[in-house]
Amino acid sequence: MALAPTSEQQQLRDSVRRLLERKSTSEDVRALIDGGSQGDERLWRQMSSELGLQGIAIPEHLGGTGAGVAELSIVLEEMGRTLLVGPYFSSIALAGQALVASSDADAQQRWLPRIADGSMTATLAVAEESDRWDGRDCATTVSRDGAEMTLTGIKMFVPDGCTSDVTLVITQDASEPTMFAVERSATVPVVELVESLDLTRPMARLTLDHTPATAIDLGGDPAARVQRIFDLAVIAVAAEQLGGAAKCLEMAVEYARTREQFGRPIGSFQAIKHKCADLLMEIEAARSALLFAARSADSDSEETSIAASTAKVWCSRAFTRAAKENIQIHGGIGYTWEHDAHLYLRRAKTSEMLFGSPAFHRRRVAQLAGIEPRP
Amino acid sequence: MTTRIASGSEETDEEFRRRLVTFLTDRHPGPAPKDPQDRLAWVKGWLATMYDEGFAGPSWPRELGGMDLPFNKQVVYQEEIARSKVPTFIGTGLAIAGPTIIKYGSEEQKQQLLPPLLRGDSLWVQGYSEPDAGSDLPSLRTTARREGDEYVVCGQKIWTTMAQGADIVFTLVRTGTQESRQHGISYLLIDAHQPGVTIQPIRDMAGGRQFSQVTFEDARAPVSNRIGEENGGWPLVRTSLGHERAAGAMNQAAMYRRVVNELIELAHERGATDDQSVRDALADFEMRVRIMRYSAMRVINDIIASGEPGASASTTRLFNTMFEQDLHEFAVDMLGTHGVVRPGGPSSIQRGRWTRGFLSTRASTIGAGTAEIQRNTVAEKVLGLPYDPSMPTT
Repeated sequence: MALAPTSEQQQLRDSVRRLLERKSTSEDVRALIDGGSQGDERLWRQMSSELGLQGIAIPEHLGGTGAGVAELSIVLEEMGRTLLVGPYFSSIALAGQALVASSDADAQQRWLPRIADGSMTATLAVAEESDRWDGRDCATTVSRDGAEMTLTGIKMFVPDGCTSDVTLVITQDASEPTMFAVERSATVPVVELVESLDLTRPMARLTLDHTPATAIDLGGDPAARVQRIFDLAVIAVAAEQLGGAAKCLEMAVEYARTREQFGRPIGSFQAIKHKCADLLMEIEAARSALLFAARSADSDSEETSIAASTAKVWCSRAFTRAAKENIQIHGGIGYTWEHDAHLYLRRAKTSEMLFGSPAFHRRRVAQLAGIEPRP
Repeated sequence: MTTRIASGSEETDEEFRRRLVTFLTDRHPGPAPKDPQDRLAWVKGWLATMYDEGFAGPSWPRELGGMDLPFNKQVVYQEEIARSKVPTFIGTGLAIAGPTIIKYGSEEQKQQLLPPLLRGDSLWVQGYSEPDAGSDLPSLRTTARREGDEYVVCGQKIWTTMAQGADIVFTLVRTGTQESRQHGISYLLIDAHQPGVTIQPIRDMAGGRQFSQVTFEDARAPVSNRIGEENGGWPLVRTSLGHERAAGAMNQAAMYRRVVNELIELAHERGATDDQSVRDALADFEMRVRIMRYSAMRVINDIIASGEPGASASTTRLFNTMFEQDLHEFAVDMLGTHGVVRPGGPSSIQRGRWTRGFLSTRASTIGAGTAEIQRNTVAEKVLGLPYDPSMPTT
């Protein structure tokens, strides 16, 4: 398995970084936060027309560019660096990949070309009050009313759930995992904003009450499909986390190089150097884990789940630690509202919880690696 | 007599692997003898076999008896050597001094010194650290005074591994003034078999005797034993050859993969996996040992793709050394009071391997550069943080 970036991947990273460094600056992010964190429509169109980013991991016959999870991860990592505000994560990384991983050709034809060109957005609703993200323990129920199917239940923490055109809902029907699509027209009256710690990513609470829904075919082994959808979402969060972590370390190093106390740059003190070196170690470990998870997903390797969970745990660790140390190294200025450091800490702590906390994924690794007690 | 394949260029990696595996199977030297003397002879015999059959020095030039393999074949080589459990290095000469001489030695030095080193005929050991020069190696005080075409060496070296049985000590010695620090240091090979060289074993905290103190009292070395220029030894210290160590990185990951499996097995046997906190800790080690493998793959891929090991290589050692300390400490904790039974005794669990490891891995963050010095290096060389103005400039 090749983990070194190809020259095409490097070019992709460079072009996304160039675009976002110009169009997703600190001022841009803060202006969008003040406006309700809906994203910048001009940038959204530019991402599509100039770089085709919305279609990156969608097959060519469905309007995408046919690249893989490795490429999508690079884009997400770059977006995580700048705390990009907008529906890319929910629409492309969550819903788009969930549809790609389904076996429903009709649903794919119906929505993926429009997701791929950015003309519509979608999201994925999994968690409920029980706070499980892997599609288990869902209480949302499915009813059949003649030809029409409806859903009843409460979905929590739906990223961009207030603004998405289509919400994919994962639940269980007769203990079998299922996925449904709920159109915006049906969700408008029943969706409310959850006040998230992360100011850059709105989340919604979706109350479904006999809400009309379209079943999405998950093929002969729906549990395996849902597991793949979950793994892809986990890898997507981890990729964003990695970008955020690397950015926090860069901010801390830059400040430590220039901020002087006791007549010398604070970065010349070992107390600061060792913090930064340890962060780099954490981030590089996280990067190794993410690269392997993304390649595993692309080759549909049986190691994908354990690699995805490993990446989630390590990218969570790296990001939260880097975000905290970035504040510490900045000292007083790092504790102000005006400094971006807290925006990263908010994103870091929130991302830790999205699609399974580190504690959840640690236990998933224990199960997958045969650490659970034997009968 | 040497038998070699005329050219390796047409041989695919898998063909090379098969040829190597055949050799390792047919000529395997068997298990290691218990007696230290027999063991040394066993290792030396095997190194000679490898050399004579053209399987020594994967990254070394052919004219010096090496194989000059491209990097991906070096990886294959390291994998198969590790899998076959044959002995590899003795002393640090092959890994450290050999590449230095290949890069900086004169033609005569290379021809004369390197084939016997590679063949295991000559055992070389390292004399860098001193009792008063550890992390601050440029302050070393072992002097080499020029007398005609010889150097006369006085001073003490410490933490030399495999010193007993050594033929040559490769050293850093002061040929300039003390104040000149790293600009007054030369790289000198000293014959260990002479009256001016005394080797005193040190008992380490785990009870072992792998380290020695080496004292030079008017020991003599011909000027022709100096590698590089006089006072020009310092830049030679960190020489490596063709990313040799990176090629072996997968082996360490594979070794620890086995160790983690064994620890999980032990936890099951003792019923410890009933405890959620034990399962959580084991899952962390499971993830860390996986990351060790992923990082090793990354370094190897980066070298193949770009010729350079990339950023992850700089922090791999820090990651791995902390891992092995944490792993052994956890194992002792998991065993409870059984974990604090002294190793080797009849009541020790698995002959006390975890308890012994708990003690011996204290050295992991000290030897070959302390973890603190490594952090400084990462911060300065990789992240570009400023040097400490109170430290001597390097």
